[in-house]
Amino acid sequence: MFATVNNYLSSVLHAIEDYDGEALGTYMSLRDVHVQNHNLYIAQPEKLVERFLKPPLDEVVTAHMKVLYHLAQNPPDYMEAYNQQAAACGAVVRLLQQLKDENWCLPLMYRVCLDLRYLAQACEKHCRGFTPGHILEKAADCMMACFRVCAADGRASEEDTKRLGMMNLINQLFKIYFRINKLHLCKPLIRAIENCTFKESFPLPEQVTYKYFVGRRAMFDSNYQAAVEDLSYAFTHCPDRFASNKRLILIYLVPVKMLLGYLPRKTLLQRYDLLLFHDLALALKAGNVKRFDEIVREQELVLIRSGIYLLVEKLKFIVYRNLFKKVFAIRQTHQLDMGDFLSALQFVGVTDVSLDETHCIIANLIYEGKIKGYISHAHNKLVVSKQIPFPPLLST
Amino acid sequence: MAQIRGSCETLCPDTESKMRIRENLLHFYELKNGQKKTPGILVKEFTRSAADVKMPKAKDMRTETSLTKTVEYLLKDIILDTRKPYHVAYDFIFDRLRAVRREIVIQVYDARQTIPLLEPIVIFLAYSRYRLCEESIEKFDPKICNQHLQECLTGVLRCYDELEEQVAPTDLTIRQLERRCLIESLYQIFNLGSPESFVRALSLPDYVKKDPIFNLSFGICLAYHQGNLYRVLMGLPRLPHILCAVASTKLQAIRRSLLQIFTHAYNNKQLTVPVPYLLRLLLIDRPDSLQEQCRHYNLSLAVDRKAVHFNKTDFNNAVDPIRPRHETFVESKLAKVYLPELLLLKKF
Repeated sequence: MFATVNNYLSSVLHAIEDYDGEALGTYMSLRDVHVQNHNLYIAQPEKLVERFLKPPLDEVVTAHMKVLYHLAQNPPDYMEAYNQQAAACGAVVRLLQQLKDENWCLPLMYRVCLDLRYLAQACEKHCRGFTPGHILEKAADCMMACFRVCAADGRASEEDTKRLGMMNLINQLFKIYFRINKLHLCKPLIRAIENCTFKESFPLPEQVTYKYFVGRRAMFDSNYQAAVEDLSYAFTHCPDRFASNKRLILIYLVPVKMLLGYLPRKTLLQRYDLLLFHDLALALKAGNVKRFDEIVREQELVLIRSGIYLLVEKLKFIVYRNLFKKVFAIRQTHQLDMGDFLSALQFVGVTDVSLDETHCIIANLIYEGKIKGYISHAHNKLVVSKQIPFPPLLST
Repeated sequence: MAQIRGSCETLCPDTESKMRIRENLLHFYELKNGQKKTPGILVKEFTRSAADVKMPKAKDMRTETSLTKTVEYLLKDIILDTRKPYHVAYDFIFDRLRAVRREIVIQVYDARQTIPLLEPIVIFLAYSRYRLCEESIEKFDPKICNQHLQECLTGVLRCYDELEEQVAPTDLTIRQLERRCLIESLYQIFNLGSPESFVRALSLPDYVKKDPIFNLSFGICLAYHQGNLYRVLMGLPRLPHILCAVASTKLQAIRRSLLQIFTHAYNNKQLTVPVPYLLRLLLIDRPDSLQEQCRHYNLSLAVDRKAVHFNKTDFNNAVDPIRPRHETFVESKLAKVYLPELLLLKKF
């Protein structure tokens, strides 16, 4: 806490003179204690700030104090606070451009961008009169301006380059793009990281977040093998004390792995309060199509909210496979009557299924390599391979 | 910048009419009874914004009522004009509706004003996409049509979202709600297989989700994502006219996927699959259409032409799907509706 505005401003000045980006970031943070200091709520702090600081840093600080002022109103003026924060972000871009071959101010950029996102979210929640996602999109544009400066800083040495700030920004942008359902915008960002020669030297927490989002995107593109790799990396490298983050990762990792044929252990699910997947896994293992559908319907809202509804629905063909595998186990022959499969479907309670559809489902399983064999339409029989009629899912 | 409000009460502002009559720049549909040089009803042309063009004045912009009249005139009168083939009318209407869209943007209309203007444009583009799908590329470019359709669709959806922020669904008329359900369904069907549109479907308000037409469309998309093409194909003919028409532009690609799946599943040198079964599943009504499919993808027919041999190595993976065409089950649905009513969303 600072007693007076002058105190605050001279501390900011010291941080700049010491090249202390961390401290400077804290002084610009909306989550620091100084935001409770009423002396800092000034509607027009320009003159005051100019006495201490040079441009463009004075603009950052001025905008920050205006943000504090607008947030202190009753009710808080989120829209105006957001606009000022965006101005701060613009000033940070100019600062970054000025400071060639230096990157000490990256923590300041992180902080300003983070608060920009928080304020954009607050606007989305409290303000009316614009399309949902619009403010977040505008915030993303501001961050992209920062990103461009960072990404273009190719000449500085590896310790001093602003490119080290890319991953932090990208993670911020990911959060926005996932929220406003514009995943295609992630692609160029991922490419920027993949082409980076020192992509291993980003801080671990940032890498965990990055892999989490990249994994989710791969999942969206039906690139499940890659999704499992990225999400597993995120899960194993995320420290145990962040249980809720680990849970978030699992929400995606578990169903993707189920799609590749791994069933989750109950103890793991229990520890992270994800028993919903246990029920799904049981239905899946049993090939109980009806029960599977029921769980999906019961948990619809949870699944939608976590963004895995579609993924879980895609598990359905594995449920079919497991059911049909049981038919094979019962019949113990390599020539299986198609009618038996239909009966199996009806037995588990699927009422609206026909022989034609049964043919199509099995045809699709063969096409995907989940069943080895062929159908004889004339005899209405499925002829399965003598070696591995139902290959392990991992290999398909 | 001050918002401009149009003051022109006709379909075409005076300045433009005078200029185009003077310069002899009238379209066929703007001439009276096809007589040369006698002007009939003019409709404002689409022009791009450019650096050397001045900001349009209020009298060069139409009022909301006259924009509505323009849309109605184009989709009621011109659409039924049979003197020229449909693609000529399409070009004309497309251009004039684009001018309407531009005015919506320049006059910064809010969601409530934009929706009733954009909805018919969406339906018109969707209908034309189907109606002209057999035309050659010189007469109709499906890609451009798709692009504009997608643009208009996302535009209307954005308006729905905006309006939802402002008013509760109970304050809207049943008609407005129904129209939204239809457009939302159209968006789903048009974007069959896209995860983005699917995510949207999941987050829609309850009244849309519970709408039977939307439900059916959503079910088709879900089945498509699951890989259950049987359900997709069986669902298509149950869709109402315009949705059915849009869906049928995707049909050839779906048929191809199913045939490809079958080449793996029924892959055998001796065995065959009977034609009636394939006709039923592929929604094909004539055996010669099936033969065409077989030729196209290099599948062989049995000697008696009553069955098809499937062989996965023979299947021609390299060829594109057959071009979309008019399907009997769509035609019979469209034959039952009065076109202007369909396009202006008066009846569905």
